[in-house]
Amino acid sequence: MFEILLNHYPVLLKGLTTTLVVSLSAIALGLVLGVLLAFGLTSRYRLVRWPCGLYRSFWRGTPILLQLLLVYYLLPEIGIEIAPIHAAILTLTLNTTAFQAEIFRSGISHIPAGQIEAARMAGISAWQTRRRIIMPQVFRLTLPPLTNEIITILKNSSLISVIAVTELMRVSEQIASRTFQPLETYLAAALLYLAVNLVLARISAYLERRMVGGLATE
Amino acid sequence: MPTADTLSAPTPTRQKAIVEAHGISKQFGELEVLTNIDFSLAPSEVVCVIGPSGSGKSTLLRCLAFLEPYDHGSVYIDGQLLGYEDRSGKRVRTSEKRVDEVRAPVGMVFQHFHLWPHRTALENVTEALRLVNGLSRRDADVDGMAMLEQVGLADRAGHFPESLSGGQKQRVAIARALAMKPRVMFFDEPTSALDPELVGEVLDVMKKLAADGMTMVIVTHEMGFAAKVADRVIFMDQGRVVESGPPSTLFRQPKSERLQQFLNTWRERHID
Repeated sequence: MFEILLNHYPVLLKGLTTTLVVSLSAIALGLVLGVLLAFGLTSRYRLVRWPCGLYRSFWRGTPILLQLLLVYYLLPEIGIEIAPIHAAILTLTLNTTAFQAEIFRSGISHIPAGQIEAARMAGISAWQTRRRIIMPQVFRLTLPPLTNEIITILKNSSLISVIAVTELMRVSEQIASRTFQPLETYLAAALLYLAVNLVLARISAYLERRMVGGLATE
Repeated sequence: MPTADTLSAPTPTRQKAIVEAHGISKQFGELEVLTNIDFSLAPSEVVCVIGPSGSGKSTLLRCLAFLEPYDHGSVYIDGQLLGYEDRSGKRVRTSEKRVDEVRAPVGMVFQHFHLWPHRTALENVTEALRLVNGLSRRDADVDGMAMLEQVGLADRAGHFPESLSGGQKQRVAIARALAMKPRVMFFDEPTSALDPELVGEVLDVMKKLAADGMTMVIVTHEMGFAAKVADRVIFMDQGRVVESGPPSTLFRQPKSERLQQFLNTWRERHID
């Protein structure tokens, strides 16, 4: 296993970099879109809630592998040429947006309505109330499930090898078939995935510790 | 349905009222919680609203602040209709922004304080100063400290709400509302969630406010406080105003049987 790591580390690292670029881009984009979708899901207008719910249900209710293939084959059909890596980022983003939105929605529903009323009575606009009163608390409340989702996306990014993106999983397959040492190769890949996710978990734990002030109660 | 009600300007009363309501009604589903309420509040007047739980007194206050949209009638803050507007003869809800504008003179204090737990006491007070009035952090902090001083909590400025007592939380909440320089303050059972020994410190702050000429509407169970501080007491039952008048008459010579009964129950509980 260490032999594989030593002999093939340039390719493995390149694969790992692609994995990180794709997953972290999707996570970051999904964070922004997820927050917006969560606002949509909690809107007081049914006309906004309904399409947002439909989106959430589709991306949460179908396998990610199928979503990848759909995006990859559908876009050229409607005349959009897109590199595999971009199709991969797009799909993972659309997928994690749904999951992150659901995490944020549940967080938002835990903020007591009275806190929002207090903000509105102080003249703070609905938008500023979301930005300054609701979301800072929601990020604290949802950090554990959010960390989970980030790790899930990182692991699910291994599926993008099916649309020929040479990320860590695909690189490992290539090395395995070349060296005839599949077990050692995949163990090496597992070690790399694990290392990245442990670092992410540590960052999350650090953030959780560092947070000051209380949380919504009642 | 909130439509087709009078949109005419409020009839001028003796003094120009800060808050005025005409015939407001409110239903929660089938249940009518407010029935045809008229209300008027003159500058510097302190009105206490009393009544059994479920009598609609909190709902009345929330309707006057448009935290609950009223169904019928009209509420005017400083002569401006709150929450609705006339659009080609039809009554429609105004934008949230317009609601904010009209009720800007109103400050509100809640039974459960509703401080923002991720902000310190001082930040709770300065948040709106910075976001709404556009003050710099430094200017807002100066104003905020003055407000905390006023409620006797300058030494708790850097504390988060979780480390404050109930009475302290409520005083921070009062400072938070006062920071926006309201012309009228609404209190929704401000001491009902407090341990008995912490009620006094909150009532003291409110007494001081009243003495300084603040216009106040207070929904409360504190009869002693109402008797001492109120200019007028309103007794509500089953969504209606049963009786109202100066506390001396209302508490000593209650006319309605319902109020007599209410006061007797209260005395039995508090004097034994």
